[in-house]
Amino acid sequence: MAQPNGTATGTTTPGEAPSTVVGINFGNSFASIAVLTKENQAECIANEDGERQIACAVSFFGEEVYIGNQAKPQLVKNAANTIVGFRNLLGKKFSDIPVDQSTTSAPVIKHPESDLPAYEVTVLVPAPAPIAAPKSSANTPAASIAPTPRSEPTQQKRILTVPEVTTMFLQTLLQSAEDFLGKKVDGAVIAVPTWFEDSARDALVEAAHAAGIKVLQLLDEAGAASVFITEPRATGATTLESDRTSLILDVGASSVTLSLLAIREGLAYSLGSSHDTSVGGNAIDDRLIHWFAKEFTKKTKTPLSVLPPPTVADARAEAKLRIAVEHTKRTLSASPGAASCSVESLKDGIDFTGTINRLRFDVEMKPLYHKIGHAIKAVLAQCQVDPVFVDEVVFVGSTAALPGLRDSVALEFPETTEVSGNGDDPSQIIARGAALQARLIASISAAEDASTSLHVAFEKGSDLINVTATQKPLGILFPGPDEENKGPWLTIIAADTPIPALRKVTFDVDPSHLEGSEKILAFEVWEAKDDVDVELIKFEKVDDADDDEEEEEDEPAESRTKKTMPETYLASVSFPLKSPTKTQVSVEFLVEKSGEIKVTAAEVTAPTELHYLTIPST
Amino acid sequence: MVSVPESPVVLPRLPTDWKPREPSGKSISAPKTGKLLPAGSAYLAHARRTIFNRTHHEDNILEEENRKKNEELNGGVIEDDLGVGDEEEGPELAMLDPKEWKKQDHYTVLGLSALRYKATQDQIKIAHRKKVLKHHPDKKAGQAGDSNDDAFFKCIQKAHEVLSNPERRRQFDSVDPYFQILEDDLPTASSLSKASPQEFFDAFREVFERESRFSIRQPVPLLGEIDDSKETVEAFYDFWYNFDSWRSFEYHDKEVNEGSDSRDDKRYTEKKNKSERARLKKEDNVRVRSIVDLALSVDPRIKRIKQEEKAAREAKKKNKVNGAVGGAAALKAKQEEEKKKAEEEAKKKEEEDKAAKADAKKAKAAAANAAKKARRAQRAQEEGTA
Repeated sequence: MAQPNGTATGTTTPGEAPSTVVGINFGNSFASIAVLTKENQAECIANEDGERQIACAVSFFGEEVYIGNQAKPQLVKNAANTIVGFRNLLGKKFSDIPVDQSTTSAPVIKHPESDLPAYEVTVLVPAPAPIAAPKSSANTPAASIAPTPRSEPTQQKRILTVPEVTTMFLQTLLQSAEDFLGKKVDGAVIAVPTWFEDSARDALVEAAHAAGIKVLQLLDEAGAASVFITEPRATGATTLESDRTSLILDVGASSVTLSLLAIREGLAYSLGSSHDTSVGGNAIDDRLIHWFAKEFTKKTKTPLSVLPPPTVADARAEAKLRIAVEHTKRTLSASPGAASCSVESLKDGIDFTGTINRLRFDVEMKPLYHKIGHAIKAVLAQCQVDPVFVDEVVFVGSTAALPGLRDSVALEFPETTEVSGNGDDPSQIIARGAALQARLIASISAAEDASTSLHVAFEKGSDLINVTATQKPLGILFPGPDEENKGPWLTIIAADTPIPALRKVTFDVDPSHLEGSEKILAFEVWEAKDDVDVELIKFEKVDDADDDEEEEEDEPAESRTKKTMPETYLASVSFPLKSPTKTQVSVEFLVEKSGEIKVTAAEVTAPTELHYLTIPST
Repeated sequence: MVSVPESPVVLPRLPTDWKPREPSGKSISAPKTGKLLPAGSAYLAHARRTIFNRTHHEDNILEEENRKKNEELNGGVIEDDLGVGDEEEGPELAMLDPKEWKKQDHYTVLGLSALRYKATQDQIKIAHRKKVLKHHPDKKAGQAGDSNDDAFFKCIQKAHEVLSNPERRRQFDSVDPYFQILEDDLPTASSLSKASPQEFFDAFREVFERESRFSIRQPVPLLGEIDDSKETVEAFYDFWYNFDSWRSFEYHDKEVNEGSDSRDDKRYTEKKNKSERARLKKEDNVRVRSIVDLALSVDPRIKRIKQEEKAAREAKKKNKVNGAVGGAAALKAKQEEEKKKAEEEAKKKEEEDKAAKADAKKAKAAAANAAKKARRAQRAQEEGTA
């Protein structure tokens, strides 16, 4: 019968279970959660409604509480009891909040006992259970055995502070994550906007704590994005160099945040940032609503005016449209064709279905795109960085997925800049970056040595983020045949590299090309200057009789390329090569905190034979 | 971590008048201050270097060590494929037709061709999972080529179906195509008639090992060594002449024509199959027997044993001839004499030992010089007596 089966002892000793951590992107309008998969990749998860982008909305309807995307439809009929946009109020005093214009949701009121913003909602509170009929001690029969029916629930006003709402909302996020993972969540990194004040951060940590989330770090959104683009990934990893300049373009619902980062081997050095609240997803919504409202009026001859709505019916129609255009925007982001917007009984019982195509949409949004373009120009000017030095633009936020926006941003940069993204969903980048950061922080706790002191680095206001960085690029210049002896240039340490910094390059050397019997390899260490080569390209006139008039309208185009010019000579290194044949030479630069440079050069085949050079600091 | 980019720079010729220049004495422009984003593993490395006051190189070395340590700790947890490994998939596997599944080698399909009948159920399960992860049609979707081509996946499923069922696996093991090729390649009588004992063992060891897998009785006595005793060799041949095999040939059964409801058809095919199975089984028994016959006929151990027996017999005969009448008595006397001699020798040795021991005691008591002397004397004495 069955064969002598081998001895299969598949005994595995499970090591210490890694802690379960998540990343949370807590936006003003939408939130998302990312977890780490079995393959150790960060993935955005869907909540129990199947939504990856969870609307930050809480609605009270009778005895029910709706949280997330279910709360959004409540904005139509139950707007007074629906709370949205509460995140931006965290940590603020009521007196600091600008007196709001017309709101479409529950109004912010002053907390009756303190100077804090709060919301007043009407809820139905179940009536208390009726008191059981007293049992008579005497031998008299009770009035009735049947229980007294519960009375109707009573309406009550309930005052909720902003942190309370936040806690309610974060609880559902935590619940979704735990349901997905089937495990308790040990900690989370929550991404917050860069401009969040300390009081807002403290309030958020407190609210998260109340919701049962251990906050590992409050990470700036730009930081989360930088983690996402620098951490090695299984797929879609960038082909860009490890030293590059990235512009993080975060288009949120209510604002646009720009951060220019010098990514130097994973270290994100902040060059500058800006924040503009005049554009964003909501502004796009407004324009779309306006456009569809106009179309509705045109089609049905039913007057519908929005923004601001004069009547209650108009306000309701606007709220309905606002929910519907969400879908329109998503369709436009996902497919190149036209997108529709349908609302049942938009106004006076008339249904509405309208479509908008890509071109029309882009034309409508042009002013907004221009604003974003201006913001990009402004931040680059503020940092004194020419667009050619920006190596990539990272789009973050659901709105950034709009293809028209990408095209218009791409116009601001030369072709060498990577604007296309790597196919990663912009709306998930922050949450996934936060999850990767959470994994990183959790891994410190796992390490046994001096774990407590390393955690300091990720605490608020850590002194470790203050660094010094090189001003100008450093590199080597090979003596060449031209009159100034300037040959090819090799940048080794880019500008804006936080120091101390260590870089190493290797290059091929063919000694048969070198002069003399001794085969000397020589190079000079220079400090350089980043420069822009501006070249005017004139279109050549074609002498075709037909096309002449059109040709003349062409303006000479500018072609801008980056170049690095050696500026200051520092020192030189030369040594005879050992190998008679083709070999490799590695050169290592170490810039100390003081500004001292240590250069080490060696042949790869003779790694023990090192040639040193030290350039002292002043 | 420091990545080392390879630069495509092409070095020019060094100008003939080039001389190493003196350092200019300048240094780099004063560094500016700025802020880092506290994010990413590079920031953690920066924090480590700053807090523990390490240089880049020290930090890299320490981190590498840590990483290795962690890998060792987690190594066993992540993967234990029970030695299934990853076999290379030859081009012939991609050509397999799932309709011809009876002809495929299920072990090769699952990547278990090195283990075959020795594979455990756990190993089969792991191998199947590995193959499915690689070849599932869902994984192929969107890849270049025909995404509907799930032929090999069907083959994998068939192979798993057969091998995971003990009864069907036994039927397949009985006719494993890999071994059937080897079975045809038997040593022949002519090639072995003048073979050295070593060649005999080389030729037959594998054969018997291979056949032993069919035995119902386990463990199976294997071929053994040249200096095995008569009993061992006899037990070996005894076992193999009464070999009880579980081998069966249902795998080669012809299918009843599909769609045919005819009972007669079915019965006819069944009858045919049964007789075919019996025929093959009989042939197999004959085959095993012929192997054993062949082995027996050329076994150098049998020759040796026969020779020994013959020698013993001849010695007996000689004695008979020599001693004629008192042969037996003479033999007995001879034996007794030998015994006596042995006893005497033993006695003598004992006495010598005793004497030596006494001498040693004496020597211990004496001074160093005396001890040397005594030992010398003892040695002399021993030499004398030996």
